[in-house]
Amino acid sequence: MVMGSNTTEQHPMIASKIIRAVTHGRSKLIVVDPRNIPLSRLATVHLRNRIGSDVALLNGLMHIILKEGWEDRNFIATRTENVEQLREVVAAYSPERTRDITGVDESSLREAAEIYALHKRAMIVYAMGLTQHITGTDNVKSLANLAMLTGHVGFPSTGVNPLRGQNNVQGACDMGALPNVFTGYQSVTDFEARETFEKAWGVTGLNDKPGLTVTEMIEAAHRGQLKALYVMGENPAVSEPDVRHAIRALKRLEFLLVQDIFFTETAQFAHVVLPATSFAEKEGTFTNTERRVQLSRQAIPPLSGTMPDWKIISEISSRAGYSIAAENTSETLAEINRVTDSYRGITYDRLAESWGLCWPCPDSNHPGTPFLHEDRFKRGLGWFDGKEYSPPAEGPDEEFPFVLTTGRVGFQYHTGTMTRRDSILSREAPRAELKMNPADAKKLRVKEGNLVAVESRRGELRLPVKLCTDLPEGLVFGTFHYSEQNINELTIGALDPVAKIPELKCCAVSIRRAQ
Amino acid sequence: MKRLRKERVPSLLEERLTRGKVYCPQWVTGRDLMLVPLGEGFYDGVLGKTTIGSKMVLFPQTEPMISFRGETIAMITESQEVLLFGIRPCDMKSIRFIDWFMSRDNIVDPQYASRRKGITTVVVACNEPPSATCFCVDTGGAPFLENGFDLQLFDAGDRYIAFAGSQRGEALLTNGHFEPPEETDQETVEVIKQQAAVSQERKPGVKKALEVLRESRPDSAFWDGLAARCLCCGGCAYVCPTCTCFNVRDHLSEEGHLRCRTWDACLHAGFTREASGHNPRPTQGSRLARRYEHKLKFDTVNFGEPGCVGCGRCSDACPVGLGALEIIELLNGW
Repeated sequence: MVMGSNTTEQHPMIASKIIRAVTHGRSKLIVVDPRNIPLSRLATVHLRNRIGSDVALLNGLMHIILKEGWEDRNFIATRTENVEQLREVVAAYSPERTRDITGVDESSLREAAEIYALHKRAMIVYAMGLTQHITGTDNVKSLANLAMLTGHVGFPSTGVNPLRGQNNVQGACDMGALPNVFTGYQSVTDFEARETFEKAWGVTGLNDKPGLTVTEMIEAAHRGQLKALYVMGENPAVSEPDVRHAIRALKRLEFLLVQDIFFTETAQFAHVVLPATSFAEKEGTFTNTERRVQLSRQAIPPLSGTMPDWKIISEISSRAGYSIAAENTSETLAEINRVTDSYRGITYDRLAESWGLCWPCPDSNHPGTPFLHEDRFKRGLGWFDGKEYSPPAEGPDEEFPFVLTTGRVGFQYHTGTMTRRDSILSREAPRAELKMNPADAKKLRVKEGNLVAVESRRGELRLPVKLCTDLPEGLVFGTFHYSEQNINELTIGALDPVAKIPELKCCAVSIRRAQ
Repeated sequence: MKRLRKERVPSLLEERLTRGKVYCPQWVTGRDLMLVPLGEGFYDGVLGKTTIGSKMVLFPQTEPMISFRGETIAMITESQEVLLFGIRPCDMKSIRFIDWFMSRDNIVDPQYASRRKGITTVVVACNEPPSATCFCVDTGGAPFLENGFDLQLFDAGDRYIAFAGSQRGEALLTNGHFEPPEETDQETVEVIKQQAAVSQERKPGVKKALEVLRESRPDSAFWDGLAARCLCCGGCAYVCPTCTCFNVRDHLSEEGHLRCRTWDACLHAGFTREASGHNPRPTQGSRLARRYEHKLKFDTVNFGEPGCVGCGRCSDACPVGLGALEIIELLNGW
């Protein structure tokens, strides 16, 4: 079941496994997405739910599963608790009510429920189509509920599998590039964890208070509470929601340091820019979406005047008065091994002679862990946490009658810092467009290529129209690859209360033909 | 005919370095067999099918064509002696194809022609298919060649038996590392040829596919069905030994500007999109159809043989299993 992921364009190598499995008749495919995506053409069933209705849809599936007795009673009894709370919640999501909220008819819903619940192995793949909502955490919890209810977790080819959007976003999180944890998700509020790191680094008094997430930092900068920001390999002046607001916030900083391989839009507001080396010019490890840590070797010499990121950080640290002991990437990994249980056995020597190792890998003889939750969940028993549906922060109304969703196209990457410099990639996806259903275009009296003015409560943007039958009526699609016509001038900064992820997948806009 | 003991190969190649560049199949980063300059990878005597064929040398991924600065414009061509050692018969066939293509209608591609002039080819015939995706026999080829090479080697265990196919090949045979043949060598080669000719199991049915394309032309639903699987990565074209379409881009710098060409792929929408935005091949299905009509049907009309040499590289590279091998099989079932 692929939900909120245009896997073919965004994770093509993972999609290739799905495509082979489906076309060779080994697997059935359920796609849940408001849009037609390339994978939906291969799907046994495609649930085109209204954007932002995922919790209701998943509750509707679980309602049918429980009513038909398709749940895995043995798994529920031995591996989970609190199923009664879930039963209570999903009881209210009858097929009729689910249809009214999601727009998905009962027979499709039933077919998907049956396929997912009754096959021996079923896996869920999801991406930011599911998480970039104010209900992102609820959406993922509902997926977890579905997987536990049917016993589709803790075995090969099962589980709830997030596809990470960048080659090392998993690694960055594992290494504690988050406001609240050290490496391996050891909380800064945990005394023992702080003690471990104080000892390892020969310091005392490590801060025990979680910091701010990216979107919270922007707000704090806007209020003048955040004075300095150090940005590495990120381009918030293009990628943040409500980006005009974000740029105003960046301008209020007393000090902005940007470290990147190219001079980004964010770097234009920086007081200092430090040129870093690209992946091909340095050595180190990346941790991919399956928690596989892989060694990446230097392939070409670095451009003069650049330094690998680790070296820049180390040099800054020295000048700030603390000398980092590790003098190369293998010493850094050795330190990671010492302070991180899940990485303890992932040593430099082992990576050098393998395709990598999946954490947890607690010792140097451990083969790595290809899938999680085999015998127990991290907390012991799996906790059902049924969630109620709540609508997106901003629905369509008379003034802003269209729903705008945002995403990426296969030939551009993120804010285009790298891909827009390549002639063939740029030829394939040369400019920003607003994709819309031909019926909507007809109503607006616009044709393909016509300029339209798209307006939200945050801003206005002129974009050429691209007709696209893959979108339902009322839903338009834009990307954030093109800083000169950036869809994030329109998106909303409403956040998921737990994960603080912005609702980039959904906001209300009006559209009119531009002169 | 002469003999070349396998243990003499490294010295032979080293020696040739004094005359120019030497390319032979070598392992790079331990996993890929690539045709790279001697010393850039690890040579262990395996002369298998390289991930990308000799196109890498004759028609580099990116090459400068023109330099320009102010009023000065100069064409860039490269010409030096190059030994291509250990390429496969399908590679040699593809070089012959590109030779024709790059000079058809008497319009000669200057970069290709000047590079080609310096190249000496040493083919190693296939005793058995180097990979499970080989189907050269089905395309009208063979695991060994009758002509077109400078030198062809047959693998006879601890030695190669070498035949010259050109004056350049004859000259190479005078090198001291080659030894006189023995009486049994000719017979050994005949046995190798007989066994090789029947060793290839993959027969996807190129002839039948050609007929299907010629007469009944699969409908767009056939190609659209395949397009639903295609990732549009263009990998099949990049590894294809006869694909030479390119994109042109100027690289501007203070030291001087370069007009370069880079491999392109007909599976990309922008490949056929016109300046007006109109695209005569508007869907991925129509682009797949175009590719195979070109490779199988039109190349056969224009060149006399299919543009597919049956090397199977596209099938090795395609993430979703949609190489020529599979598509020819599907056309047979249509």
